[in-house]
Amino acid sequence: MNKSLFEIFKVFFIIGIQLLGGGYVIVPLLKKYIVDERQWMSDEELVDFYAMNQCIPGIIAANIATSAGYRIRKVRGAIAAALGIILPAFFIILLFAVLMTGISEYKIVQDAFKGIRISVIVLIIITVKDLWKKSVNSFFSYVLFFVILTALLLSDISPSLIIIASALLALLYSKLRGPDNA
Amino acid sequence: MLKLYFLLFYEFNKIGLFAVGGGYATIPFLFYIQQKYQWFSVDELTDMIAVSNLTPGPVGINMATYTGFKTAGFTGAVISTLAIVLIPFIMTIILTKLITKFKNNSCVNCIFMGLRPASCALLASIGITLFYEAIVPGEFSGVYSLDIKMFVLFLLLIIPLSFFNKNPLLTIAAGAIGGIAFDMF
Repeated sequence: MNKSLFEIFKVFFIIGIQLLGGGYVIVPLLKKYIVDERQWMSDEELVDFYAMNQCIPGIIAANIATSAGYRIRKVRGAIAAALGIILPAFFIILLFAVLMTGISEYKIVQDAFKGIRISVIVLIIITVKDLWKKSVNSFFSYVLFFVILTALLLSDISPSLIIIASALLALLYSKLRGPDNA
Repeated sequence: MLKLYFLLFYEFNKIGLFAVGGGYATIPFLFYIQQKYQWFSVDELTDMIAVSNLTPGPVGINMATYTGFKTAGFTGAVISTLAIVLIPFIMTIILTKLITKFKNNSCVNCIFMGLRPASCALLASIGITLFYEAIVPGEFSGVYSLDIKMFVLFLLLIIPLSFFNKNPLLTIAAGAIGGIAFDMF
């Protein structure tokens, strides 16, 4: 199979256009285009990249694309894949941003967005529920969750600071409990 | 202007470095930027989240592009988009190289045991704040008023999601129709 940088870029661009919703949607798309149709990587590698990228900060879809691109053609492949995923999103959003400023004058659009703001709240709450199920499942995580939530609601503490502090606390906690329970 | 570009680059690098758990994890950071710099309004930011869900592409990238564009036009969009992927891109390449060693590293696992609840709490606080601002708007001499229409819309949107498969597009479309319909009463 042709593994030119342009071909890598093209495949990831096609995947990027089809990405709707959360970053996880990229996994079945990679399975179809990269694993099944082109055999550029194996099923097992896809699962590994997926698991690994949950542990890397940043946009999951872009990270998985980077991993896959790197697997196909090292750093240049990674750049081609990442650009392929990012560019459709970038240009479509720019188009939308320009359109939005034009249509936001209309009353009906303003009303629609008033309702949409409620939709966004609902989407956030649903995401919190999903994250909660996956991550808040031990005494330590319960305490951490509620302490952070209280601190956030009562003060303007920076999210970066919260992340650094939680990483350190988790490290400290698992060291104190010993390696068996980590 | 140069200072604005630099600030955008700096703030979005920070998001790339600290947002753990996918596109939605960047939301609390965007609200933090809103509060700190006021480059855009809370309403604009909420609209951005909706638009990012409506358009193809990773939600996190969409939001970065939109925020950058609102703040400093096309150049701003380029800077914020590049900045948000830069650090994770480098980390991903390094870790893909080391993947076999990384897989069984308990130290990394235990750090994420702390990061995931933190990320969840960050997003929860944004959800609560937005809910509060939309449903309990205005504080008239200390007496809180409840926006009943918006509260009903909230219930209408969230209850079906507890039973059926979630689809962000449907939720946003339903919200738009609800917003228009409720204005007619």
